[in-house]
Amino acid sequence: MNKFKLWLEQTMMISFAIFVGIIIEGLVYSFMGDNLADFNMTWVQLVSVILTGAVCSLPTVFWLADTDIPKNKYIVRIILHCIGLYVVVCLFGWVFKWFVKFDGFIMMTVIYFLVYIFVWCVSLWFYKRDENQINKALDDIRDEE
Amino acid sequence: MQVIVERVNSKEEEQAVIKAVEVTEEISGAIELLEGDSKSFAVSKDGKVYIIKASAVYYIESVDKKTFVYTKQGCYDCKYRLYELEVMLGGYFMRCSKSMIINLKKIKNVKSQISGRVDATMLNDEIVVISRGYVKEVKRRLGIG
Repeated sequence: MNKFKLWLEQTMMISFAIFVGIIIEGLVYSFMGDNLADFNMTWVQLVSVILTGAVCSLPTVFWLADTDIPKNKYIVRIILHCIGLYVVVCLFGWVFKWFVKFDGFIMMTVIYFLVYIFVWCVSLWFYKRDENQINKALDDIRDEE
Repeated sequence: MQVIVERVNSKEEEQAVIKAVEVTEEISGAIELLEGDSKSFAVSKDGKVYIIKASAVYYIESVDKKTFVYTKQGCYDCKYRLYELEVMLGGYFMRCSKSMIINLKKIKNVKSQISGRVDATMLNDEIVVISRGYVKEVKRRLGIG
């Protein structure tokens, strides 16, 4: 059940980050002279974003979260995870036609890495917040020795 | 002292609020009783049986279907299973992983790991891992979740 909840959380976080990325992409293109009104998404693309979030969350939940391995091995795992998910995202991008030209592919790559960093930053921020809250609460109940 | 008992619907909602001018010996006793610290149980070491107070326990671990109780004085065998002790002790004793129960009052501080796990440094400087799945419950027990 905890894994399921974590998967849902990750799916929402990744999907949200992709949508933010798409908004940034639209703004970048508008600054480059494109008409924002021409920038739209089909329902298939909307669903594909959520599907990508759901699929990308699976290795996070089952391979990265709550594991008991040394820090250096964990970092190697993160790098492999990042590359693996990039391949998955490229595959989804190709299947759901997120890009048609090379510049679209480059933009998708940039968005992917921004989303990846964003998700990690948010997760680490949550962990740090929990740590601070728990430490503060423990001060009130700790036994004297 | 006036005592008010209010019925609640679930175990999670249970709490005791004591309003007092000062924490007297009687009040300390009542707190100990409510938090489960006054409970005692039998453990053994080198063929000898000891009765230890719950408040002396740092953490309890289950290894190969055997239960071990860790205190400042050392490690003891215990005939109870982990789930029995969890129910018996209650209060600030809680699961921190599938095979461990931790006494929250014996934690010096906690530190979040990149994997989401939380390392709890006990008052005897031993480190006990709190799985990510149990962090929410830790926060709830501490009244911050």
